[in-house]
Amino acid sequence: RGGGGGGPKKESILELAKLTDAPVRVKCLGGRELKGKLRGYDELVNLVLDDCEEFLRDPEDQTKVTDKTRKLGLVVVRGTQVSLVSPEDGLEEIANPFIGEED
Amino acid sequence: MANRILPLELIDKAIGSPIWIIMRGSTEITGTLRGFDDFVNVVIDDAVEYSPDPRDPSRIVKTEIGGEILLNGNHVAVMVPGGKKEE
Repeated sequence: RGGGGGGPKKESILELAKLTDAPVRVKCLGGRELKGKLRGYDELVNLVLDDCEEFLRDPEDQTKVTDKTRKLGLVVVRGTQVSLVSPEDGLEEIANPFIGEED
Repeated sequence: MANRILPLELIDKAIGSPIWIIMRGSTEITGTLRGFDDFVNVVIDDAVEYSPDPRDPSRIVKTEIGGEILLNGNHVAVMVPGGKKEE
């Protein structure tokens, strides 16, 4: 059979140890977006976020996320529903590089 | 700083206390956490469901289910030990 697995346990390409205690942004499947301080995690990418806030979505367009948030506090985020984890500091919005691209 | 917190340990500590569960869609459940399994299927006592009114999705309908429910862990996205702050 091809593919990985069967190697050493606890290997992840995502180094959450480095992000512990840092502010992170988490995107979930289904469109939810959260931010908080990463206080813990496991190999399945279940996360513990402190002072977590959820970004509220536009009532007219649920795919658009607004700047408004609601406070959740200390939460557990299910790894099965996580699509992205990134440091808040590492984010910078740039102009859309794909507009006007041919092919 | 302090050692990291394991997510499932935090959930385990919350057994017996109020919990607020936010699902993948717009549904939320609150109640007392009685237990959970490896897949994070969850047993909630005195459960209350908050979901959008199908006829007016901007309105949230609160349904007191009462009693114990088994909540399928498939769509559980966020769990908040301590429950939901009532506005």
